[in-house]
Amino acid sequence: MASSLLRTLIPFDIYGGMKLTGKYFGKVLLQSNRGTKRTHIVVEYPETPVTLMPRYRGRLQMIKDEQGEIKCVCCLACEKICPTQVITIEKGKKEGRKTPYPTRYDFEMERCIFCEFCVESCGFDSIILNHQFELAAYNREDFSHGTEGVFQNMYDLTPVGHYSVASEE
Amino acid sequence: MFKTEEMEINLGPQHPSTHGVLRVKLHLDGETVTRCVPMIGYLHRGVEKICEDKTFFQGQVWTDRTDYVAAISNNLGWVEGVEKLFGITTPRRAHYIRTMLTELNRITSHLLWLGTHALDIGAMTVFLYAFREREEVLSIFEAFCGARLTTTAFRIGGLREDIPPGFEKQVRAFQARFLDCIEEYETLLTENRIWKKRTIGVAPLNAEDAIALGVTGPVLRAAGSSYDIRKAFPYAAYAEMDFDVPTQTAGDTYARYLVRLAEMRQSHRIVNQCLDGLPEGPVMAKLPKVLKSEVNEVYHAIEAPKGELGYYFIGEKGSQSPYRMHIRAPSFINLQALPKMTEGRLLADVIAAIGTLDVVLGEVDR
Amino acid sequence: MMPTLTQYLVISLLQIVVVLGFVMTLVPLLTFAERKVIAYVQVRLGATRVAGGLWGAQQGRLHQSRTVTGGLNGLMWFLGRVPVFSILRGLPMFIADALKLLTKEDIVPASADKAVFVLSPALALVAAFTVFAAISFAPGALFVFPKAVPFLGGLPFNGFLTDLNVGLLFILGIASVGVYGIVLGAWASNSKYPLLGGLRSAAQIVSYEVPLTLSLLVPVVLTGSLNFNEMSTRMATDVPANGMVAIGRTLIMFVGFFVYTTCGFAETNRTPFDLAEAETELVAGFHTEYTGMKFSFFFLAEYSSMITVSALASAFFLGGHHLLPFGIQGFVHLSGWWGGPHIIFFLFKIFTLLFVFLWVRATLPRYRYDQLMNVGWKFLIPYTLIMFVIAALLRYAA
Repeated sequence: MASSLLRTLIPFDIYGGMKLTGKYFGKVLLQSNRGTKRTHIVVEYPETPVTLMPRYRGRLQMIKDEQGEIKCVCCLACEKICPTQVITIEKGKKEGRKTPYPTRYDFEMERCIFCEFCVESCGFDSIILNHQFELAAYNREDFSHGTEGVFQNMYDLTPVGHYSVASEE
Repeated sequence: MFKTEEMEINLGPQHPSTHGVLRVKLHLDGETVTRCVPMIGYLHRGVEKICEDKTFFQGQVWTDRTDYVAAISNNLGWVEGVEKLFGITTPRRAHYIRTMLTELNRITSHLLWLGTHALDIGAMTVFLYAFREREEVLSIFEAFCGARLTTTAFRIGGLREDIPPGFEKQVRAFQARFLDCIEEYETLLTENRIWKKRTIGVAPLNAEDAIALGVTGPVLRAAGSSYDIRKAFPYAAYAEMDFDVPTQTAGDTYARYLVRLAEMRQSHRIVNQCLDGLPEGPVMAKLPKVLKSEVNEVYHAIEAPKGELGYYFIGEKGSQSPYRMHIRAPSFINLQALPKMTEGRLLADVIAAIGTLDVVLGEVDR
Repeated sequence: MMPTLTQYLVISLLQIVVVLGFVMTLVPLLTFAERKVIAYVQVRLGATRVAGGLWGAQQGRLHQSRTVTGGLNGLMWFLGRVPVFSILRGLPMFIADALKLLTKEDIVPASADKAVFVLSPALALVAAFTVFAAISFAPGALFVFPKAVPFLGGLPFNGFLTDLNVGLLFILGIASVGVYGIVLGAWASNSKYPLLGGLRSAAQIVSYEVPLTLSLLVPVVLTGSLNFNEMSTRMATDVPANGMVAIGRTLIMFVGFFVYTTCGFAETNRTPFDLAEAETELVAGFHTEYTGMKFSFFFLAEYSSMITVSALASAFFLGGHHLLPFGIQGFVHLSGWWGGPHIIFFLFKIFTLLFVFLWVRATLPRYRYDQLMNVGWKFLIPYTLIMFVIAALLRYAA
């Protein structure tokens, strides 16, 4: 009875919370914002690069072999497996190449959900999801990626800096 | 000359504390709620219908987007449901890894609930502390499957890849400090007199009403029932795990808070057991080239962080996709308890009730 | 030397400019401090982006440092490396905040009562600022104009605007006018959420006025005065008649400080009593429909009443212009500079209390409306009444 009255009058519970928050305030205050040892959890993103895990799923990219040839043989597995149907492939032939060659490989990023099913289904390791995550753009066309014509950007990273402040410099 | 009438007020769909696009129509007499009507459908995308056109393999990506804070739990429900439909046996190692990730996912889901619920009641610091730990778990997901929220973590028949190198160390580092973090949340909230005043006796729901309304999960367990699918109908590797089902009897907001905190501690225990007893072996079962279902139907339920998450499939002969798919979404059914919990109480209690029900609108509307 | 009327008016004008300038600079700085303190408590960094961020010296290199903004960026980016002072990083944010509020579009809802809608922020602001007329920042002259100054030479520049003999009464009276601004603004918005916020605020401020005033009656009874300077000086330095009275005085001031601060939190609508603008319940409460400068008037009013509450608490309970709080200075004799009244002590106490305001906001949840009323009527009013009786007994014993 007496102790409960005392606990009502003197707010020990509030003191505990204040002590915890005060402790964190002191810790962050006494350390520098950009030191090696720090309590705060902020990543100052554009200035400090973000670390990504090796399996990070970014944008779809086609990779070439040592001769600079596209590895894709138009098996259409990725086109079939894609849940949102963002991949369109046209089968064709190229001189001096035995296997089929994609005359058109279109990837519409604005509908892509980055599930990596396409990479998983690919039996020839010809596509990967790279580590690029700065994918915002101002024009709809910038989201369309392809191998032919204007959009010859399936092989490279999207030019960073076109969209991101990390490129200033 | 004077007349009195009840004020009708729309809480949402754009309101700071309706957790998305929930709209609640309230009739207020002063600040007392006389009628409360949750109105849903602002985030309806027709997931169940879409999945009828997709193969069983593809359909998993839509489960990421129903309850988007507990995507791995949803993935688990989907793949296990499909495995049940086709009678596929998954390797034991895959079961263990699935269990571990699902429990980590339960932790992230409860942390998000804790943060937003405390923020609704006015304690803003718990939110950031909870998110600090949540980020760490999301990095674990990123290390495992490459995405933080829309994970698509599992595959029918097992896992796509085994755990990456360094994964166990990462999980253990998190496990080592997580219990202290729960202590911190408790320091800020459990004994705090304002928190107690705001939650004890607020938005009560007794076990009888909860069962009649079909409410499951922590909300039901806080009312005294110990129904937990992990114990009642074990799936994945839960039959081999040693854990308790925390219950409370009060059935109010404070009891639900205590239950969820205790569940985080149990999840922590399960993750440790999974790590310690991780069996060797393959992570993927041998699958036929193309999955073709016979005409049969399957209901598979798992204990998602919000409650009983059930997937109901009807197969079609020769087809790769379900004839009909239905999701028993715990958020959707728990939300129906809102009028029962809030009518006759104050406006501020509605906010506490929405927070404590832990609804995710992506799952309510599907 | 008595000043002539013109000299008196000129000096008063200067004092008004200084005090208002002080408050008007402190409020934006306080908002910046609020962002930073809450951020640090929450293991974040808060506002760092206005300078020293995005376009600042990247990767630690101080480029562009030849221009003014470039130099500022460089300085701010450098500050991020210095412990303690790193809290100043992003300081230009408070200017940016003010500029944003000034340049925002000023929206008056179509169905609002226009005249009242426009007037009520002004009412709140005027009430909050007028209070400073009776607050004394230093008991005597802050400095004396040197002889060389034309016209004003040899005259004192006081640390207070007026030395009202009913100073406390004036402060309490004017401060309670501020609630009209809130209620009228909420009503004139003709919107449901502001209405609820305004009702809450009216009930809250009116009912917390009672324990607030009662707790301030303790120093009034102990000193037998209503004059701000006299009260604060005597509360700090009165030499008690005997040991029992001294201990009683210190204890009652200690308890009274906490009770007064609690009421002050409620009176200024701060967490854990910020029901009137509980953003998770009422969107933004009474100022939901306000934008731009009108909104910032409410904002200024709230923050300057925080300064008022801190000033009163430190003047009457924390020893005011003297170093030691709770009347301890009465029986511990400090000599030299430390023993005297200084504006530094007073300001230090105000800033500490303001920090506590922010710290509490970062920590505590918020009461519910009916619970707030319970705390006020069933807990604080009896508490303050008992304190009042004890204070009267102490006065009788002395």
